[in-house]
Order: sequence, then structure tokens, then C-alpha cells
Amino acid sequence: MLNRRAMLHGFVGAGAAGGALLADMNRTAKAQEGEPVHVGSALPMSGFAAADGIEFKNGLELAAAEINAAGGILGRPIELHIEDTKDQGADLVSQAMQRLVDRYNTPAIINGYNLGTNMIEMDVAADNDIIMMHYNTLISHNEKFKTDPERYYGSFQGDPPEFWYGPGCLNFLKTLSEGGKWTAPNKKIAIIPSANEYSIVIANAIRDKAAEYGFEVSLFETVPFPTNQWGPTLAKLRQDPPAAIIVTHFLPQDLAQFMVQFLTQPINSLVYMQYGPSLPAFREIGGASINGVIYSTVIGCLPDEFSKAYRESYRAKFGPNSAYITGSQTYDGLWMWAIAAAIAGDPGEPFDKEQVGKVAAVMRRNVYRGVNGTYRADPAGQSAYCYPTQVADPSLGMPHQFLQHQDHTTDPKLIAPALYATDAFLLPPWIK
Amino acid sequence: MLDILTSIIIAGLTTGALYALATVGLSLVWGSMGMLNMAHAAMLTLGGYAAFSLSSALGLPAVVGFAGAVLAGAIAGGLLYVFIVRNLLNNDKATFESNVMIATVGIGIALENAILLTFGGQPLKQPISATGSLIIGPVNLPYQNMLIVIVVIALMALVALLLARTRIGRAIRATAQNREAAQLMGVAVNRVYFQVLVLSGALAGVCGVMVSSMTQLSPPLGNDPMLKAFIMCVVAGLGNLPGAVAAAFGLALLEAFVQYAAGARWGFPSLLFVVIAVLIWRPAGLFGRAQIRRM
Repeated sequence: MLNRRAMLHGFVGAGAAGGALLADMNRTAKAQEGEPVHVGSALPMSGFAAADGIEFKNGLELAAAEINAAGGILGRPIELHIEDTKDQGADLVSQAMQRLVDRYNTPAIINGYNLGTNMIEMDVAADNDIIMMHYNTLISHNEKFKTDPERYYGSFQGDPPEFWYGPGCLNFLKTLSEGGKWTAPNKKIAIIPSANEYSIVIANAIRDKAAEYGFEVSLFETVPFPTNQWGPTLAKLRQDPPAAIIVTHFLPQDLAQFMVQFLTQPINSLVYMQYGPSLPAFREIGGASINGVIYSTVIGCLPDEFSKAYRESYRAKFGPNSAYITGSQTYDGLWMWAIAAAIAGDPGEPFDKEQVGKVAAVMRRNVYRGVNGTYRADPAGQSAYCYPTQVADPSLGMPHQFLQHQDHTTDPKLIAPALYATDAFLLPPWIK
Repeated sequence: MLDILTSIIIAGLTTGALYALATVGLSLVWGSMGMLNMAHAAMLTLGGYAAFSLSSALGLPAVVGFAGAVLAGAIAGGLLYVFIVRNLLNNDKATFESNVMIATVGIGIALENAILLTFGGQPLKQPISATGSLIIGPVNLPYQNMLIVIVVIALMALVALLLARTRIGRAIRATAQNREAAQLMGVAVNRVYFQVLVLSGALAGVCGVMVSSMTQLSPPLGNDPMLKAFIMCVVAGLGNLPGAVAAAFGLALLEAFVQYAAGARWGFPSLLFVVIAVLIWRPAGLFGRAQIRRM
């Protein structure tokens, strides 16, 4: 029976909107009394990306608890099943997903990210007729979707592709310089990707668009993935100091080591990094060395009033150092799918193309405001739109957030886009 | 230019010191026992986590954490002998080398997963580390790098002294040269094997602390040093200790210069190229001797 407390929890924890909608649909349904709906997730719970995998699992658990408290999906509670994708790759990820379907008959798989999969997840989803939502943040999702939209109807990318990091980053640097908040010593930028698709696509996008934004690429240095010995790369940077160092490698522990080693002989360059600084491991390993680092993410929990209840619930449940900014991805993903399944009248099951197709149609049609901002599926690629680089209307695109670590003992500050910013940019302490 | 050159040499020497420490532990066991210890990586990781547990979780001084890492590695080596190696030695001698390799692969996987279950997959900061730098003119020497190089050189000297000047060292060398002959001369071969594994484990423990102080703690921490150590062993000649140390420093410096001159991504391929070249032109390794097996 849905009691008042559970109802309130559903309302508040889900950031209000999702909880209210589901609770309304469940008004006559009796939560926990129906057959469970099995939802799978193939996550890197061990290996180098385990820090993210743990947060993705946390996000799913919190969303499932809130959805179940609000009555589940038309009275059917969600039951989560996690498979470890270890060091990822197409073989491990596809096997993990297939195990979820075979063992639990999951109509939906909500993943975080998995690397090196060549988007094989879309084939597993298509072959089994299930919904698959993921946060790989890859333009190759869009490209693959375009090859056969009918086959890949159930595959959704919960955030904008990584390509948008390129023009977004350059636009941010240009705006910062033109606004007088930072005096660039020259027009040079150094780009440091690591050897993986995500990192290289972003680096290439920055390199290819640099001239349009008035920058000149002075160094393009690909490092191994993972990497932690930055000595020779830092030597090159010190030899020809650029105005900004753009590291598109994204593992938090490696990026923290970059800063520790960079600060033994700092140069007057802004340091921009990709994604990893959003994770607690970056702060814990880097300590005070990370103060001043800028990073961005096209997906992450916004520090606004709307997400406050989610952030508080997350930290209360998973500890003060847990990264709600990462867990928010799968949190929104599960909520979005659960609402779509309820609207469609049933989540369906594997090989039930008709019903699963109805759920997919709702996901394409709905505009969902989650704790990460707005998800609206781009019909051409079934990924989210990116605001402000791709769409000018923030109600129709997910914000590309720029954050700065200003004090390593507290959460990073959101400094752009202006519509969402909570703090102003501060000149990093190593720039004289 | 001097500061650039210095920073490359420092990076090379630091990496070389870490490679050398991982290599010595592996090479010692191979040289004296003919045993490729595939659990060496996990023992290295264990040392790193032991230091973390004592220094960070229990709040004990760094010295205690360091000693704890040595002890944890030594105990792991001792247990490996008692539960696995001793029993395999009692079986068919001809299949010992392959059996022990497979057995230690399993032990390594189990140990790594035990660490994963205990500490979780989140990367952690190794509390035993030094901050700051010694600045001499244009040259900047980070204390952390100096600490690693000094600790490793001191340990290398200790191991060399142990092998050259002590009774235990003589027994190890005798067993390495000819196990049966040593046994006939009254050397307690089984005890030597135990001592070698304890020593190798202790070195792995120290290596775990040193590597994690430059990177981070995570369950797969030991895998990369183990891979590099294996490369050094092959280049030097399996079981050749001084050669392994020379190869570790030489190849690490080569890797650092290649990373600077050709790009960071060419560092590891350059090491593999050297391995292939050595295997073609000197199959027994740069410092190794050809091995003849009588059937």
C-alpha cells in the first residue's frame, strides 16, 4: 500500500516532477504487490573505471527506491540486476548485457558508460528487442543509429555526444578571454588526448575548430590509456608554454597525478580537463594541487534547487564523499524509462517488439527535465541535444557545464553557462 | 634546455627505479626456483593497501605503514610457499614450472578480487608520499622522486649484500645454480625456497607503496609494473639480477626519451620493440647465458 510518507519521498526524491507523474499513474495500483520488473545494468564495477561504476550503481539504486516508493511501474516494483563489465570492451559488455537478458528477462538495460565497445550495446538491444539507455557520450552512437533507425529503435544515449565538448570548450575559453576575466599570454593551446575513442574525438574536434575561435594548436600529444607518468609530456609543455592546456584524457586518478606533477614547475597556462575532475577520487588524490582546475561535462547533476532533494538523498544514502554528479546519470535514465514504460501501459519484455516499441516511442516523444537538465532525444541520432552549443533554448537541451575546483575541500563551482552558473571564474593560484 | 633534460632524466630514473624494484622480486624467484610468480602483481598491490590501511585508516605513522607493507608482502610470500609451492614441489619436478605458473595466476586473481571486495574499486590516495621539491638553479628535483630512487637503490644494495655476503645468500645462489647439487651439499632447499619467496614478497610490498605513491591505489595496481618487470627480465635474461636492474634503468630512460622525442604513445611500443629485437638476436637476454637442458 502506498502510504503518505512513501508518496512524499517519491515526490521529493525524484526532483518532484517524475515522482508526481508516476504516483498519479499508480493511484490505483498497489506497489510491491505486482510482479517485479527486472531492470539490468552492465557497469564497470571493478577495473580502472570502478569509481564511476559504483556511482552509476548508486544512482540506479536511489532511483529504484524512489520509483518503488511511488508505486513502481503501474504497481510493479523495479528489481535491479548489475553485471560487472570489468575493464570493458565489446566482448565483456555484450556478454554482460546478454546475461542480464537471459537470466532475468530484462525489458530494459540502463548502463552508465562502457569504453571500447564500438557501440555493440545497440546490437544487443536490437537483437533482444529491449530498451537500452547508456551514457557512453559518443558520436558513434548517432552514426550507428543513422545506419538503421528501425533496427536500433530501442537504443538511447542519455546525454549529448562527446563531439560537442570541442566547440563548447573553445567557446568557453574565448568568452573568458574576451570578458577580461583571463588574459591569455598567447593564442596557443596544447591538446592532450589519451588513446581511446571518447578522448580522441573531443581532441580532434578542438583541434579542427581551434582556428575558428582564434586559437593555434601548439602541441597535440596522445598519451597511453591509462597513464600516470606525465614527466616527458610536461617537459614539452614547459618548453613551449601555451595559454591553455586541454587534457581530454578523463581518468580522475591520472588527472590528479598530472596536477601533482605539473605543480612542481608550473607554467602560466589555464588547465582544462575532461570529466575526471568531477569524481571524488580526483580531489582525494590531488589534494590542494587541483585548486584552479577547470573541467566540463555535458552530463552531470546541476547544483540547483530542482536537484537539491536528489543531492541530499544521495549523500545521505551513499556517504558525504559520494559523487552525485555521476550517479545522476543512471538516476535520470531509470526515472525517464520508468515513466515512459508507465505511459506506454507496460514495460514489455525481451522479443516483444510491439510493446517495447511503444515505450521507445514515448521516450522519443517526451521532453524530460531531470536533475542533469533537459533530455530531448535528437530524432536523427537518439542522443540528447547540447545547450548552448547545439541548441539555444535551455528547455530543449542538456547544459554543457563548466566547473572549477576553487577549494579542494568543497564541491567544484559551476561557472558556465551563465544561465546556470553559481560562482564566478577565479584565476588559478599558479598563474602569476 | 637543462631543466627540460633534467625533468626527462628524473622521470626516466624514477620509472626505472620502480621497474627495477618490481623486476628484482620477480627475477629472484625465477632465477633461484625456476618459478614465474604470476601472483607478484597482486602481492605488490597488497603491500600498497597494507600501508594505506595502517597509515590512513588506522592513523599510524608513515614508518609503521611502510613496515606493514614489507610485512604483508613477506607474509604473502611465506603463505604462497606453505600452501602452494611446497605442495607443487612434492609432485612431479618436470611439470613444476608450468604448474606453479598456473597456480599463481589463480592466486593472483583471487588476491586481487579479495582486495577489490575489501577496499572497493574506488582509487585511493597513498598517504605515504613526500611533497615539495629541491630547487637547484634551473633544476627542480621533486622529493617524491628522490625518495623513490633513494629507497630503491638502498634496497638493491641490501639485496646484493644479502646474496653476496651472507649464508642465506650463498644458499640461494647455490640452489639457483643447481638445485640437486645444493641439496647433496646439505643446503636445505625447501627452506631456501621459503626464504626467497618471503624476500620477494617483502620487495613487492615496498614496490607497491612506491608505485602507489606516484599513482594511486586500485586493485589492478600491480599489473602494469608486473608487465614491465617481465619485459625487463626477458631483456636482461631471466634470473639475472644485476642485468635486470641495469635493463630496468636503461629501458626506463629510453622510454622517457622516446616519449619526449617521438610522443608519449610511443614509449611502451619502443620497449616491446627492444624485447623483440633481443629475442631475435640474443634469445637468452642481454646478460643471460644460453641454457642447455638435458633430457
